[in-house]
Amino acid sequence: MVEKVFLILMVLLAMLSLNTPKLRRAVIYLGILSLASSFIYLLYGAPDVAIAEAIIGSAISTVLYLVALKKYHVFTIYYTNANYNQITDSQITRGRAQVLRDVEKFFAEREMEPQIIYTTHDYRFVLENRNFDLLIHQDFDEVYFYGNKEDYQVDAFEEHVQKEPYDPLRSKFIRHEAGGGK
Amino acid sequence: MKSNSQIIARVTGLLYPFIILIGFYIIINGHVSPGGGFQGGAVLASAFISRYLVIPEESIRIKYMQTLEKVLFFCIILIPTLFLFSSTGNDSAMANTIYLVVMNLLIGLKVSSGLTIIFYRFVFYEGGE
Repeated sequence: MVEKVFLILMVLLAMLSLNTPKLRRAVIYLGILSLASSFIYLLYGAPDVAIAEAIIGSAISTVLYLVALKKYHVFTIYYTNANYNQITDSQITRGRAQVLRDVEKFFAEREMEPQIIYTTHDYRFVLENRNFDLLIHQDFDEVYFYGNKEDYQVDAFEEHVQKEPYDPLRSKFIRHEAGGGK
Repeated sequence: MKSNSQIIARVTGLLYPFIILIGFYIIINGHVSPGGGFQGGAVLASAFISRYLVIPEESIRIKYMQTLEKVLFFCIILIPTLFLFSSTGNDSAMANTIYLVVMNLLIGLKVSSGLTIIFYRFVFYEGGE
């Protein structure tokens, strides 16, 4: 009876880890899955294998995956400006100094190298057609951040923005459903 | 990488001696109870790996661990050879037990240093640049 419960639990955990949107959660589900499977091994009379599975599956590989996720640094940032026709070069430099340099610094501290794409497309076009992690839309001194809903690095960035907003600029943070990207 | 949770750091610090103790228990009792060199070595390695959660710094000496692993590997080759050639006549239970415990201990230490080296190399050298 107990073993059937745990076998069903294993299937459920495997499905959860496949369907969850965040990779971190999937790693934790996999750790619980291997803990359950080590209990199953114990019930079937293989304590040796159970010890190895419990240690390697739920301790070592979980920590290893978490560290690997922290090091994952392909991070796409789109930058659009509503008034790219009217502004001059000096304004671009100043605006860049204010927003993008701060964003870059934030992600560099987290050991990620952001890939920044400047585009002249309208931001709505980018929202619908491109796959991105963060979209920065600037309209003179209003800045909109569109963050991907499933990205946990964006969570940290949202906290950072809310903690110390850029003084001369009015910033606004919007969570966006993962783009209809190609 | 810089920020680490205070709760995890404290609790892991409390658990350290117990992890190391259970690792050595599994290794030394490997020949009579479930477990053995590999499992106990993995437990010891998990103690080293959880050390990274407490102090995420590069203060561990990987070079010494590599030398230790090489020496242990040499011993793992050497001791069975010596045992095989020296004791053809006597097959006392005492000698066999000592041989098993020593071999389990060597294998456990080698596995733990190997897994620790893999982990710390991955954390500090790979893909960070």
